[in-house]
Amino acid sequence: MSEDKKTSLYDEHIKLGAKIVPFGGWAMPVQYEGIIKEHHATRNFAGLFDVSHMGEVFIKGKDSLNFLQSIVAQDLTNLEPSKAIYCHLPNEDGGLIDDIIIYNAKGIIEEIEYLIVINASRIDFNIPHMQKMAQGFDVEVINKSDDLSMLALQGPNAKFIIEKMGISQSEQPKFFTFKSAILNACPVFLTRTGYTGEDGFEIIFEHKYASKLWNEILSYKEEFSVVPVGLGARDTLRLEAGLPLYGHELNENTTPIESSLGFFIPKEKEQNYIGKKLIQGQKTKELPLRRKLFAFIMEDRMIARAEYPVYINDIECGVVTSGAPSPTLGKNIGFCMIEFDKLESSLVSKLNNIQESLGMTIQIMVRNKLYNAKIVKKPFIEKKYNK
Amino acid sequence: MTIPEGILCSKTHEWVAEINNEFTIGLTDWAVEQLGDVVFIELPEIGSTFSKNETFATIESVKAASEIYMPVGGEIIEINEELINSPELINEDAFSAWLVKIKPENFQEDSQGLMEYEDYKDEVQ
Repeated sequence: MSEDKKTSLYDEHIKLGAKIVPFGGWAMPVQYEGIIKEHHATRNFAGLFDVSHMGEVFIKGKDSLNFLQSIVAQDLTNLEPSKAIYCHLPNEDGGLIDDIIIYNAKGIIEEIEYLIVINASRIDFNIPHMQKMAQGFDVEVINKSDDLSMLALQGPNAKFIIEKMGISQSEQPKFFTFKSAILNACPVFLTRTGYTGEDGFEIIFEHKYASKLWNEILSYKEEFSVVPVGLGARDTLRLEAGLPLYGHELNENTTPIESSLGFFIPKEKEQNYIGKKLIQGQKTKELPLRRKLFAFIMEDRMIARAEYPVYINDIECGVVTSGAPSPTLGKNIGFCMIEFDKLESSLVSKLNNIQESLGMTIQIMVRNKLYNAKIVKKPFIEKKYNK
Repeated sequence: MTIPEGILCSKTHEWVAEINNEFTIGLTDWAVEQLGDVVFIELPEIGSTFSKNETFATIESVKAASEIYMPVGGEIIEINEELINSPELINEDAFSAWLVKIKPENFQEDSQGLMEYEDYKDEVQ
């Protein structure tokens, strides 16, 4: 059995009494003092996450833009230096190999055109795919995942902590932009992004600065109530914010439109890209959806969990992709994927119409009994981005 | 936290104790600590019977649902109703927050293989 990889902050997690679990080949902290406490601390004050398991890729060479345009569903033509965009990396059939954030790094990272942050669990699929597709382009796909650590500092107090560490609020990058900066005497890339629905930052740097930055941020515990947060609360926070998790809401057999992320797909994109036919066809409604992701709230005290079967009018027609109690709402929430080929066409057309689908009752099977849930709009909470 | 006297524990982390001639079943402090914040506990109906090792209840933390097994077989004669509305009580004290009381079927035979608390602690640590 191969041993799980450890981030450069592993010893810090142990010191803090974290409970460690395997996650995507990594030994990661799932919680420190408790998921609910960490969740509320992030929403109300600030939470610090070790997300060093995430992958980083540098894209270099004169064909960088053309190459990326040929592999993602989004249009990067107007992505100016320092700006970031949430992107989908489809396969030939329009399913997703990964969901990623692309940063235009021109003038920010020496000799590099783009920085890409990718899912830890997809590094071994995503990078070989990109390297294969790079053939024929004057471009280099450089895997930096083993060289860089990453922290996320999220919540309303994040900006005050970053200010204390040397970057005034007016100098801080705006939402979905990044900059190169010196934070507490450590050179970092500072991004205004996150996975919680809160204002906050992600900080990318060489491993040797990890403990120094981690401990410096946590030293603001008294002043700004910042706490370390594990993967447990990371999951409830992203779920409330309506954000998808690869392997749950996203996979190789489902297009981003079917995963209810059509908002992020441009109406038109001139360049051809892998998987374009089905994705653009679904975007323009010329091609039908095969399945669709819905957000739901349980009407009952039962908690829906990933893989639980979903029924509509007593017909089994899908599965829960993620489900958990929402600490903010005090209700049990989740996402489910409904398979349209299991349902009659009148129901499918109702589900295809967002307004008509809202409020519809579905049933979730929990321990062999059906319980009602209502389809709702995502996100479950209001996002607090600093736009 | 007071550990009930004469408590016996199973490998699947349930405890059973005879308290005032009643057989009480709960989940061990070690198991509760592993689960983290408990948000929901589903208890069986009074009058239902379960054999040893059969699932009789479910406990849910924020992250996952876990089944709870009968350390000895028997009929459910009382459930801890307080846990239905305040499942977090089990995080505070796993021994006072008992789950069910039972009328055992064959305690002598079923309790074979259960461990005394000290031995259980040695096993899980």
